[in-house]
Amino acid sequence: MGGASRNEKKRRQEAANQRLAAAGIRPPEKSSASRMPLIVVAVVLAVVVVVGLTVLISRSSGDVVPTYTASASGAVVTAGSGPVAIDVYEDYLCPACERFEQRYGDEITTALNDGQLTVRYHSIAILDERTDPPGYSTRAANAALCSVPAGVYPTYHKKLFDSQPAEGSAGLTDDELVAFGTELGAQGDFAECVRGGASAPAIAAETEAAVSDPALQTDGNFGTPTVAIDGTKIDLSNTSWLQDAIAGQ
Amino acid sequence: MIPGRVLDVVGTLARLGLAAVWLVSGVLKAIDPDQTYIAVRAYDVLSPTAVEVVAALLPWAEIALGGLLLVGVGTRVVAALSAGLLLVFIAGVAQAWARGLSIDCGCFGGGGLVDPGETAYVQELLRDTGFLVLAVWLIVRPRALFALDSRLVDTGRT
Repeated sequence: MGGASRNEKKRRQEAANQRLAAAGIRPPEKSSASRMPLIVVAVVLAVVVVVGLTVLISRSSGDVVPTYTASASGAVVTAGSGPVAIDVYEDYLCPACERFEQRYGDEITTALNDGQLTVRYHSIAILDERTDPPGYSTRAANAALCSVPAGVYPTYHKKLFDSQPAEGSAGLTDDELVAFGTELGAQGDFAECVRGGASAPAIAAETEAAVSDPALQTDGNFGTPTVAIDGTKIDLSNTSWLQDAIAGQ
Repeated sequence: MIPGRVLDVVGTLARLGLAAVWLVSGVLKAIDPDQTYIAVRAYDVLSPTAVEVVAALLPWAEIALGGLLLVGVGTRVVAALSAGLLLVFIAGVAQAWARGLSIDCGCFGGGGLVDPGETAYVQELLRDTGFLVLAVWLIVRPRALFALDSRLVDTGRT
């Protein structure tokens, strides 16, 4: 807007005000009171952003370096050697499992590192149909089982969740699964093991056993992630479930 | 000519209706942050970090919009923000539909991938459009009964 038209507008406004004044009407003043609602809205939204980001930052986990060891039997990986044992059922494609790892991964790793906890990770593949082509859950679980003899399971398991592909996608390729292991220092014939898929039958059997175990179901359905202690599913909506378990409650 | 009093009543219903929508949808999202993250992620639009930020802020933003509409502060600007957010939601659902994703919108909690036969894109889009109509009414004519706006701004009316 040029200066001329601004002056023109101002002049017209003044003329209009004069006419109103002549008629005995006082135009409402653009006082601070009329801006009050806008200020309230701005303050409320600013508080939302600050509080939301603060909660987000406080909740995001740092990176605890795993120092525990793991061994595999069939499709179950036993991590750590602490006195308290928990069973964790995860599918590498399951978004809720990714959330579970994001939320509790550091806490679990710390407890494993400190020798307070033993975790039996059950390799579950219930979402094989949710990639195109199907089968990522099984391929990822197989790769994770390969990472145990390769000596990198603790970091590889975390890496698979940190890099979780979206449901409906093709999933990570075998080459990518191999590359992650190589990056993390996998020993031996890791690449052949990943491409061979030899653990698929064991994963299918483990999945079948978990799905049909009534003790792991809620309302007749099995889902991942599921955590069980002494064969009984625990309620993960209790956010202090791990401290309670370690405290023996 | 419809008397102003009737329009005020319609405006009040629109304001309180939209407030209820935001408060319910915001609270349902806020009580299950992990599910909200999964719902936002399922749209397959944002980077992981952006999904974190949106999932963390969205429930509280909705609750804030609902609260402001409920008390009637800055109704026109809050209605405009509501309309903007609803347009984003409609765009999100439409792109998911167009790309052949099968997701639940997670509009009122829930969300994430569903089986291809279980999508409800038409209902979700119609519902959001209905909410958009409420917002547009309030942008055009924010005046309503029981609103704090009328106390904060002395309009000269008595």
